[in-house]
Amino acid sequence: MRFIFLFFLLIFKSLDAFEYKNLKTNSGIEFWFVEDKSIPIVSVSFSFRGGSSIDIKDKNGISNLMTSLLDEGTRNLTSKQFKNEMKMNGMKLSFSTQKDKIDGIFQIISAQAKDGFDLFYEALNHPSFNKVDINRVKRQVISSIKIDESDLSTLASNKFNQHFFKDHVFSNNIKGSEESIKNVTRTDLVNFHKKSFVKNNLVIGVAGNINVNKIKKYIELVFGELKDNQQNYSIKQFKALSVGQKMFEMKTPQSSVLFGHPGLERNNENFFALRIANYILGGGGFQSRLYKNIREKKGLVYSIYSYLLSYENDGVIVGGFQTRNKSVFQTIENVKNEWKKLNKRGITKSELDNAKAYFNGSFTRNFTSTLSIARLLQVVQYYELGADYFIKREKIINSLNLEKVNGIISEYFSNEKLFFMIVGEPEKK
Amino acid sequence: MKIVGILFILLFCFESKSNINFNAKSTTLENGLRLIVVENPRAPVVAQMMWYNFGSNIEQRGKSGLAHFMEHLMFKGTKKFPNSYYSDYLSKIGGSENAFTSYDYTAYYQIFPSQHLEKIIELEADRMNNLTLTKKNVEIEKKVILEERFQRIESDPSAQLDESMRTVLFPNDYYGRPIIGWKHEIENLSYDDVIDFYKENYNPNNAILILSGDIKFKNAKKLVNKYYKSIKSSQKIKLNKLNNPDLKTSTNVELSNENVKQQIWKRIYRTKSYNDSMTQSIALDLGMKILAGGTSSLLYEEFVNKKKIFSMVGGFFQGLTKGNGYIYFYAIPNKKIEQSEISDLLDKFIVQAIDEGISEEKLILEKKKYYFDSIYGMDGILKPAEIIGEALTIGLSLDDIENWNDKLDKINLEMVKKELKEFSKNRNFVTGNLKN
Repeated sequence: MRFIFLFFLLIFKSLDAFEYKNLKTNSGIEFWFVEDKSIPIVSVSFSFRGGSSIDIKDKNGISNLMTSLLDEGTRNLTSKQFKNEMKMNGMKLSFSTQKDKIDGIFQIISAQAKDGFDLFYEALNHPSFNKVDINRVKRQVISSIKIDESDLSTLASNKFNQHFFKDHVFSNNIKGSEESIKNVTRTDLVNFHKKSFVKNNLVIGVAGNINVNKIKKYIELVFGELKDNQQNYSIKQFKALSVGQKMFEMKTPQSSVLFGHPGLERNNENFFALRIANYILGGGGFQSRLYKNIREKKGLVYSIYSYLLSYENDGVIVGGFQTRNKSVFQTIENVKNEWKKLNKRGITKSELDNAKAYFNGSFTRNFTSTLSIARLLQVVQYYELGADYFIKREKIINSLNLEKVNGIISEYFSNEKLFFMIVGEPEKK
Repeated sequence: MKIVGILFILLFCFESKSNINFNAKSTTLENGLRLIVVENPRAPVVAQMMWYNFGSNIEQRGKSGLAHFMEHLMFKGTKKFPNSYYSDYLSKIGGSENAFTSYDYTAYYQIFPSQHLEKIIELEADRMNNLTLTKKNVEIEKKVILEERFQRIESDPSAQLDESMRTVLFPNDYYGRPIIGWKHEIENLSYDDVIDFYKENYNPNNAILILSGDIKFKNAKKLVNKYYKSIKSSQKIKLNKLNNPDLKTSTNVELSNENVKQQIWKRIYRTKSYNDSMTQSIALDLGMKILAGGTSSLLYEEFVNKKKIFSMVGGFFQGLTKGNGYIYFYAIPNKKIEQSEISDLLDKFIVQAIDEGISEEKLILEKKKYYFDSIYGMDGILKPAEIIGEALTIGLSLDDIENWNDKLDKINLEMVKKELKEFSKNRNFVTGNLKN
């Protein structure tokens, strides 16, 4: 017995046709929405500014611990009952604490929307924070911290953050430490929950098979009870990022190296020029200069990359690789040389054209699932890229010429500003 | 370019009352190439996946890592489209790509705007037959692969333990050899090995091309025919299917490393596969989900919630394999415990849980989750291609995939219990312990 249940509708044939609605609930919560009837799913992507950057002193990791407890039961349901209800309704709910925000994803099968949004409301507004659950999740976080410490690349990443961001709040580990986790009490969690989930720090994107009236009602239900909070959770600028090199010894046949360099905030007018420069340097998969010159030509590494981390008021470029202990310093020299070459000679016309074509062409991939659409809507709001971003984006890219991009490159990129964190047992040069 | 450790888990079981399927269309060219199309015009994007129905399973003894090595080299260009032409072209149109090698299959995929369909089909067809490799390509890429092995295995004690456990569990077949290859054997792979492997195995007879997204079957057929029909078919792969002996001893493998800060207990069982029996495997899968899947399983309830011995415990069944399937368990203790003590605790509890804990209610819940997950599996364009490709390359049919639901519906509590009981008597397992 075979018949077609799903009729995939053709909804986004071109960029101009990508239309979203800017909706407002009764109490004034704004969110962006795309009605997508091609599949019986509703996806909500939401984000609260703050995250681990507002962790409490001596209680680092509290944000991550709090969000890890949100599917562990509500005022009416035990942890076990809540998880069963999620399964019953085909509901997915996950939270993840980042350095500057808490990201959340909620998905529900359209036919189960009512029960699903009710559960979502309970989880977000009335988590139980039972002591038994708190203690269990604490033990899980502590195990996971220990596993991170045993893992070369995760350890290197944590050491990198610690040293690169120095005195900035971003130097802290999102998960905290065994001691700081033990310091967190139930009262701390209840207060931190109130402090984190406030309306004025919230952005929401929704896509899926549900009508406008219903989704407005459900968004109001879930987020309507949250309070406003005048506190500013904006990230401070990185006044002093480290430069040079730092070592952490670990007995292992390869070393893991992470490197960092100043970048730009997401809504800076030069952001796209920097993005293109980074794509050419280390962002573009099999295309980048780091990949071609260090992996493909020399075979020194399996993977080498760089990416932009852009926040509200500032940003950085981060990269990394692993290589055998004997070739660590040789590879670092190669990275420095690529940086120097970029700064001195800039990029070529054909590199620029290829990168522009890539960024123009790859954008439609965001429209292939309800979740990726919802996330896109959320991110554009989070970074305040503007209601007209979907039209503007292509113009911004096309307006970049070689002179402009190379000007920005020579202004921002400097191998003197690079910082390398090495974890392993590198052989001296 | 990566290695698939844990395979895609098949997530598409359906209830008959709302029969959802991929509605995949299929045809086979004269040279043996199979074409599958999943039409989904929601966004102007196509995912192309080329699946070869072999992986490390066809490597001769002494040549471990050859299939994966070949996968890396498939990116090195052809006479017509030299060097990184294919990758460069893809990135210029905003596409993305990657590839992976497993025991039973090798796959290449690209996601790209649909207006470039013809060119991408041409490029994939071209590298099936016309790869040009230099000795230098091979030499440098070998260095990359050795770095990859050092990154994935030699620098990761947990991966070393897994590798060692598999050699014990599968002493006589390819599942006991690492996909990436042993270091000493990678070092000895030669240019001729690679060329022979390519010529012998890369041909339409061993390939399934899947196109998913903004594409019509009719058009796909036309284009695929245009670019593939000239490629001559050669022999189908000959898989020398080996069986493993029953294990007569119990083996505990232990890896002690000063960098390990958290003890982890593991166990792998050799089991049946979906190729042996679809129905029994679905029943076993459902049973394993009740017993050990996620944070509402019987094991989690007993050892994490009640006894507080582990911070996490769980397991799963993977039977989408040409040969044996396997069941994997792990436990993360809160305090140091002897390996044997953990084994005893779990052994005792599993027998008891199978008798007393597997309820109708839990089975209904797991079936429901299967069904909902199948809908999520259709929200996107790559996932359907992954699910279909994996199932076909290990030997299932398109009907098996599309009618999975009929089999799921027929599973009852007795069948699940029977599978679990049989499993609890399984002596073909190896236990591992990762510690400081």
